[in-house]
Amino acid sequence: MGGQYRLLGILLAVLAVLVLVVGGLSAALLIGGGEETGGNGGTTTSSPSEAGPDASEGGETVEAASGRLRLPGIDPITLDPHLVTDTGSAQYVAEIFSGLTTISPDLELALDLAESFDISEDGRVYTFTLRPDALFHNGRRVTAADVAWSIDRALDPETSSLVALSYLGDIVGARERRLGRSETLEGMRVVDERTIEFTLDAPKPFFLWKLTYPTAWVVDSQQVEANPRNWTRNPNGTGPYQLKEWRLGERIVLEASDRYYEGTPSVKEVLFELSGGSTLTRFENGELDVAGIGVNDLERAQDPSSDLGPLYSNSVEMSISYLAFNTEAPPFDDVNVRRAFAMAIDRAKVAETVFMNAWLPATGIIPPRVPGYTAEDKTYTFDPEGARAALAASSYGSPEGLPPITLTEMGGGASASIDTQAFLEQWREELGVEVQVRQTDRATLTADLDDGRLQIFVDGWSMDYPDPESVIDLKFHSTSPLNDVRYQNTAVDALIEAARVEQDPERRLQLYRDAEQILIDEAAWVPLYFPLAHVVVAPRVEGWFAPPLIMPRLRFVTVTE
Amino acid sequence: MTSAVAETPAAPQGDAAPGLSGVSPGAMLWRRLRRKRLALVSMVVIAIVYGAGILAPVLAPYSYAEQNLERTLEGPSSDYWLGTDRLGRDMLSRTLYSARTTLILTVAVVLSGSVVLGVGLGLLSGYRGGWVDGAIMRVGDIFGSVPGLPMLILINATTRPRVDELARWVEEHTILSNELTTTGGASYFTVAVALSLFAWVGMARVIRAQVLQLRERDFVLAAQATGATGARVIGRHLLPNIAFLIILSVSAGLGAIAGSEIVLTWFGVGVQPPAASFGQMIFAGSGARTFQAHPHLLLVPAVVVTALMFAFNLLGDALNDAMRGQ
Amino acid sequence: MAVYIVRRLIWLPFILLVVSFATFSIARFGPGDPLAVAAGQFRDPEILAQVRAERGLDGSVLEQYGRWLSAALRGDFGESFLQQGFSVSELIFPKMWISAQLGLIALVIVFALGIPLGLLASRLSGTWIDPFIISTLLFLRAIPVIVLIPPLLWLFALQLNLLPVGGWGGLFDIWWLGGVVAIPIPDPHLYLPLMAMSIGGFGGVARLVRITALEVQGEDYIRTARAKGLPESVISGRHVLPNSLLPVVTVIGFALTSIIEGAFFVEVLLGIPGIGRFTFEAVVSRDYDVILAMTVITSAVFVLMNLLVEISYTFIDPRIRLGASAAT
Repeated sequence: MGGQYRLLGILLAVLAVLVLVVGGLSAALLIGGGEETGGNGGTTTSSPSEAGPDASEGGETVEAASGRLRLPGIDPITLDPHLVTDTGSAQYVAEIFSGLTTISPDLELALDLAESFDISEDGRVYTFTLRPDALFHNGRRVTAADVAWSIDRALDPETSSLVALSYLGDIVGARERRLGRSETLEGMRVVDERTIEFTLDAPKPFFLWKLTYPTAWVVDSQQVEANPRNWTRNPNGTGPYQLKEWRLGERIVLEASDRYYEGTPSVKEVLFELSGGSTLTRFENGELDVAGIGVNDLERAQDPSSDLGPLYSNSVEMSISYLAFNTEAPPFDDVNVRRAFAMAIDRAKVAETVFMNAWLPATGIIPPRVPGYTAEDKTYTFDPEGARAALAASSYGSPEGLPPITLTEMGGGASASIDTQAFLEQWREELGVEVQVRQTDRATLTADLDDGRLQIFVDGWSMDYPDPESVIDLKFHSTSPLNDVRYQNTAVDALIEAARVEQDPERRLQLYRDAEQILIDEAAWVPLYFPLAHVVVAPRVEGWFAPPLIMPRLRFVTVTE
Repeated sequence: MTSAVAETPAAPQGDAAPGLSGVSPGAMLWRRLRRKRLALVSMVVIAIVYGAGILAPVLAPYSYAEQNLERTLEGPSSDYWLGTDRLGRDMLSRTLYSARTTLILTVAVVLSGSVVLGVGLGLLSGYRGGWVDGAIMRVGDIFGSVPGLPMLILINATTRPRVDELARWVEEHTILSNELTTTGGASYFTVAVALSLFAWVGMARVIRAQVLQLRERDFVLAAQATGATGARVIGRHLLPNIAFLIILSVSAGLGAIAGSEIVLTWFGVGVQPPAASFGQMIFAGSGARTFQAHPHLLLVPAVVVTALMFAFNLLGDALNDAMRGQ
Repeated sequence: MAVYIVRRLIWLPFILLVVSFATFSIARFGPGDPLAVAAGQFRDPEILAQVRAERGLDGSVLEQYGRWLSAALRGDFGESFLQQGFSVSELIFPKMWISAQLGLIALVIVFALGIPLGLLASRLSGTWIDPFIISTLLFLRAIPVIVLIPPLLWLFALQLNLLPVGGWGGLFDIWWLGGVVAIPIPDPHLYLPLMAMSIGGFGGVARLVRITALEVQGEDYIRTARAKGLPESVISGRHVLPNSLLPVVTVIGFALTSIIEGAFFVEVLLGIPGIGRFTFEAVVSRDYDVILAMTVITSAVFVLMNLLVEISYTFIDPRIRLGASAAT
C-alpha cells in the first residue's frame, strides 16, 4: 500500500512542478513578447489548429492587422435576412445581403439591386427593373426569379418568419401566403428576367421604405434549397461583403466581395470581436478601431484635451425611450392622473445627474432626423404645482384615492433601473404617491404587455425607417397590434388615417405632428430620452458612422495608414 | 501548537474525553470552540453584522431609498460617512439595510430549509427507515446532483413574476393594502423558498446518519420497549441528542446561504429594488472603469461582505475541527 | 464494489429524467416564451401561434415534454433561439470544452500552489509564518469572485496595462522566435480568469495539507525514522509528503465544485464564451432547449464525478466501504 501512496504523491508532485515551470516560463515569455508586439496590438491570436495558415504569414502580422477594420460585435442570433428581428444580427446581414431598395448614409431612400422602378397611377402597382450587373458572391446573376423566390420564402409558413408580414404585408395576398392559406403570393408577378411587379392592397407611399428591411432581401435559392438548415453559416448573398469566418463567441470576419456591383469596397476585411469585455480599454490598447463610450467614460471622452477627445463623436440613434401608461388600467384611465405623473418628473435633471447627459431629453415622440421632427419641446415640463393640481382634478382626487401602482421595467442586472428609481422618488416627493417598481426579464414583460396587465412601464422604440408613420401609426392607431398602451382616440385615428393616403408630403407630416401633440397632451406616453450613440473612432478610419437604422455602411469606410 | 490561527488539528485533548466527564456533547464542543480565539472573533464579526441588520432602522442616518440628486457619487464626507451612490443615496444606510436583507434571508432559509425541512426529513428518514428513508434520500440525491446556481437563477427568474401576482392577489383580497409589494416581500419570499429547496439536503443527511446511530443505543431502545410513541421518542430522546449537531450544521451553512442571496441579486433575480442588498451594491460598483472612478461604490459592500464571509468560513472550519475531535 | 457502481449507474437515467422534467416545468412556469422575446416589437398573435406550432411550443407542458424527451433520446436536443441555425449540441459542447479547459487548469493551479504552501506552513509550524500563510489564503478564499474581478481588472488591465480586459483567444498563442521557430505560449486572455478562479481554492487545500502533515509528523513511523537518525529532508520527502498528500485527493470534488460556481461569474464578467455565460443568457431569454440540455448534461457530470470521488475514497482509505451509509 505504501507503494500506491508514493506513486500518487510522485504524480502530484510532478504535476505541480510541471505547472510551475510552464507557468513561470510562459510568464517570462509573455513579458518578453509583450514588448515586441504590444505597441501595435498585432499579436495574432489563434488556436493551435490554425498554426498552419498563420505560419505562412508570420512575418506580415502587423501589416495584415492594419489593413483591416476591427469593430466590437456580438454573436448574431441569425444571419438569415428573412428571420432577423434584432439590430445586433442586422449589422452583419445588412453587409452580406441586399434587396431592391436601401437606405443611404444620409438616410435617403436609394435603389440597390433595382435599377429603376415605376409606380402605377393609382399608387398600387410597383414595377422594379433589376440591375444587369447584380451578382451573388459566387458570381451567379441576380434575376427577377431570385427576388420572387426570396420574397415568397420570407412569407412561406415553413420559414417561420416573425417579421415578414410586418414588412411585406402590404402586398396583395401576403397574409394568406404567410398563414398557409395560399400556395402562392397573389400580388407578385415576374414579368421577365429583370422585371418584377408587386400589387399592393392600397396605395402605400412607404412601401419602398419597407423593402429596405432585410426580410424583403434576396437569398440564393440554390444554396437554401441545398442546405435549408445550415446555409447561413456560409451564406451566398448579394451585398458588398461576404462572411469569411465565424467562430462562435470569438470573432466574425467579413471580406470585401469583388462581385459587388459598385466594385470591391475599400476596406478589404472587417473583423468583429465578439468576446465582449470593455471595448474602450481594448480601443485604447489599439486592439479595436471603434469603441462605444459608456456613462462612466463620457466625461473623459468629451474633454477635448484628453487622448480620446479628438476621436469622440456622437449621433442620434433614431429611437426613443418612454414611460408608457396603460390607458385602460386604473388609475391611468384618467387623463389627469397621467398628466400629473408626467409633470412630476424632472427628466432633464435625471439625464444630467444619472446619465451625465449621455441621452437627450426627448422633445416629442418623433425622434431627430426623422421628417416631422421639430426641436422645440412639446412635452410637459417639470411642474410640481401643476402635477398636484392635475391629480386633484382627477376623478381620484388625491394620492390617497389612488389604487396601488406598479411600474414595470426590463432589468437583467441589479442596477438597470437607475433612472426609474429617480422617477419613483420624484413621484413620492412631488405627488405623495408611492409607486412600486417591478423588474422583469424581456420574456415576462412582453407576455404582460400582450395581456394588458401593466400599469406604467418603461420601454423603447426604434424606427424602422425615417418616417413618422413608423411610430405614430404603429404605436397609437387604435387597431394596431403594437398599441401597447391601448390608446383609443378617434381624433388621433382620423389624423393617422388621413396621413396614410395624403399625397402631399408637407401636409402629411403636419397630420402626424398634430397627432403627436394630442398624444403628448393626453400623456399616452411620457417621452423620456432620445438615445445617443457615443463612440470613439481611430484616426486612421474615415467615413465610419453608427447606423441609426438597419443599413449597409461598411463600404463607405476607408482605412488609411 | 499554540498558533493564533484556529487551525490546531483536533488532537485529543485530555480533559474532554467524550462520555467520561459527563458533559453533553454540545457543552463540550462549546468549550473546545471557546479555546479558539479566531472562532470567537468570527462570532463577534457575525454578531456585529447581524446586529447592524437588526438595528438598521435605528442606526441608519437616512432611509435606504432616499435620494439626493444634487449629491451623487460623492466620496465619504461628514454628511455621508461612506459616500453616496449614483442616485445620491447614503452608502452607510444602504449597507446597514443590506445587512438586514442578509439577516432576514439567512434566518428565513435556516428556519424553513435547514431546520424544518432538513431536520424534519432527516429525522423521518433515519427513524422510520424503509421506503420512506429510501424515497427521501433519493430525492436528496436528485437535489444534490443538479447544478445549483443555474437552477437557482432559473427558479427565481421564472417564479418571481408568479409570486408577484400571488402577492397582489393576496393584497387585493385581504386587509393588506400594499405591504407585500412595497417591501419587496414577494422577492424575499421567492429567494428564501428557492434557497430552502437546496439547503435541506446536507442537513437531512447529517441528521439521518446521527439518528441511525442513536436508534441502536440503549436509552432509545428502552424507551421504545416501554411503549413510547414515535413522536415521544423523537422529542424526548433523539432531539436533545442531536441539537448540537443542528446548531453546528446551521452555523456551517450560513455563509453559503448569505453568499447565494448576494449572488442571485447580483444577477438581477434576487431581492428587488428598492430593497437594499449587497448584491445590488456590488453590481453597481462593478466594472473596471467604475472602480477606477468611484472605488467606494465597490469597496464599501466588498469589505463588509468579505469580512462576513471570512468570519463564516473560519467559524465553519473551527466547528469542523471541533467535530473531528468527537 | 462493482455491484454498487452498477447500481448507481442504473439510477442515473432516472435522476436525469426527474431533473429534466423539473427543469422543463420550472422554465415554462414563468410567463413568456422565447418566441415572444425574439419577436420583440412584432407580436402578431396569429403569426406567433403559427410559429409556436412550427417550433413545438404549442400544447400542454406534458405534450411538449414528451416531444422533447423523444427527440432527446434520439440525441436531438433541439435548436437554440439565441443562435438560430445551430443545434443545441453544436453550441453547448464547444462552450463546455472552453469552460472545462479553464476549470481543469484552475484545478491544477489550486493544487500545484496549495500543496507546497500547506507543506511550507506545516514545516514552519510554531513560527509566525505558518498562521500568516494560512490566514492569508483563507482570507483570499473569503473574497467573492464578483468582488474580486473589478479590482483585478483595474490593476492588471487599466493601471499596469499588462493583460487584456476580457475575451478569449484559445489556450495558446504561437510566439515566433525569429519568425521560424514556433513556441506555444499561454494566451494572455487566460491569466485573469485563472487568477480569479483559483485564488479562492488555495486556502482549503493548503489548510488540509498542513493539518494532515502535522498529524503524520506525529505518527509512530516518523518518530521511528527520526530515532533511527535519518536526516530531516529524507523524512519529509519520503514519509511526510506522500502520506499527507492522500487526504488532499478527497477535496478534488469540493475544489471542482467551487471552481465551477466561480466560473459562472468569471465568464460573465470577463467575456469568456463558455457554458456559464451562455446558460445565463439562455435563462434570461427562456431559451428552453439550451437550459434543459445544460442541466441534464451537468447533472450527469455531477453524478459521475461524485461516483468517481467515492471510488477514489476506497482506494485511499480501505476502511471506507462503498455505499456503507446507504446500506445500513
